[in-house]
Amino acid sequence: MAETHSLQDMRQQAAVAAKVFLQRDYTNGTVCQFQTKFPSELETRIEKQQFEETLRMLNNLYAEAEKLGSQSYIEGCLACLTAYTVFLCMETHYEKVLKKVAKYIQEQNDKIYAPRGLLLTDPIERGLRVIEVTIFEDRSLTR
Amino acid sequence: MMKNCEYQQIDPRALSVSPLSAQSHAEKTVQRCRRKWEVFPGKNRFFCDGRIILASQSGVLPLTLGLIVVTCGLFFAFDCPFLVKHLTVFIPVIGGTLFVFVVFSLLRTSFTDPGILPRATPDEAADIEKQIDTSGSSTYRPPPRTKEILINQQVVKLKYCFTCKMFRPPRTSHCSLCDNCVERFDHHCPWVGNCVGKRNYRFFYSFIISLSFLTSFIFGCVITHITLRSQEGKSLVQSIQESPARYPYYTSIHIIC
Repeated sequence: MAETHSLQDMRQQAAVAAKVFLQRDYTNGTVCQFQTKFPSELETRIEKQQFEETLRMLNNLYAEAEKLGSQSYIEGCLACLTAYTVFLCMETHYEKVLKKVAKYIQEQNDKIYAPRGLLLTDPIERGLRVIEVTIFEDRSLTR
Repeated sequence: MMKNCEYQQIDPRALSVSPLSAQSHAEKTVQRCRRKWEVFPGKNRFFCDGRIILASQSGVLPLTLGLIVVTCGLFFAFDCPFLVKHLTVFIPVIGGTLFVFVVFSLLRTSFTDPGILPRATPDEAADIEKQIDTSGSSTYRPPPRTKEILINQQVVKLKYCFTCKMFRPPRTSHCSLCDNCVERFDHHCPWVGNCVGKRNYRFFYSFIISLSFLTSFIFGCVITHITLRSQEGKSLVQSIQESPARYPYYTSIHIIC
């Protein structure tokens, strides 16, 4: 596991001060939602509102992915009738939204979190169990 | 979840890293990055550059495939010509479609990731350990840890997995044959040579359903064949003796199904 070329290994260059793990929020059932409680370790690094906005957006995206609408119904029926061979040609609605999530996290990291010495890990890398927030040592001289 | 490692990277130098470590960082990028499947900790085997995943032992998957192919082969070779002549040309068409369905579903079930959860990173495992009281000595394995959570106002106990070092989400189980935690784990099917879990349940189900249809269809066709032959003036026993003795194959498939 230490040999995988992961962003975390690269980040070892900038010393990791701590990691915060945001767990899943099961109060509304087994739908994929994460707890939006603001962790105390991030108080000095980022504004509560900004962080909660990111989490809210992520929760909304996951809710959209698991939504059962007419599109997912048609997709399911078509897949069933073709012995799921259509999935070799096209992506499911869920996969499309997961790609949106990855892009969103990338964007947030670039614009908001990296300048503050933080890094959000895409929860899919952890099996949609936790959102890992890596806190780097604050070496920035200009803030 | 078996993604490759290609994605956009943020330049760590944006965090004002010292020049020495920046140089070793440049050296590291020259090293070939290893794919996740190459360093996978479970017992699965990977083929086709990580696109195909199998359990450590293929179980009786070759036998399953063999039985299906041989049965259908015999059906197409011996029953179809007779039935096409006497009934309709759609018999082999339907049989062929069902056969294709069965084989595709079987291969998809066998070769797809059943919903394996990646093991907790060392940092996460340490974080979880911190949150649990460890009052026993290090040599004695503590009793299974459970965590209670509320799902829709109902208390559910989450068990701790000692191999994967995490609290398993609801309906997740650890498969000892594959050495992975699998989401919505149903069972490890030796016929298919893989676990059946959240991500390949739909393929497994369509395999079972289409196989039932296929075997019923072949059974019906065979009965029709024998009946038609015996109606042509010969007795039932004689007509069975006439067409090749392939019925043991059919009966075994039905029993297994």
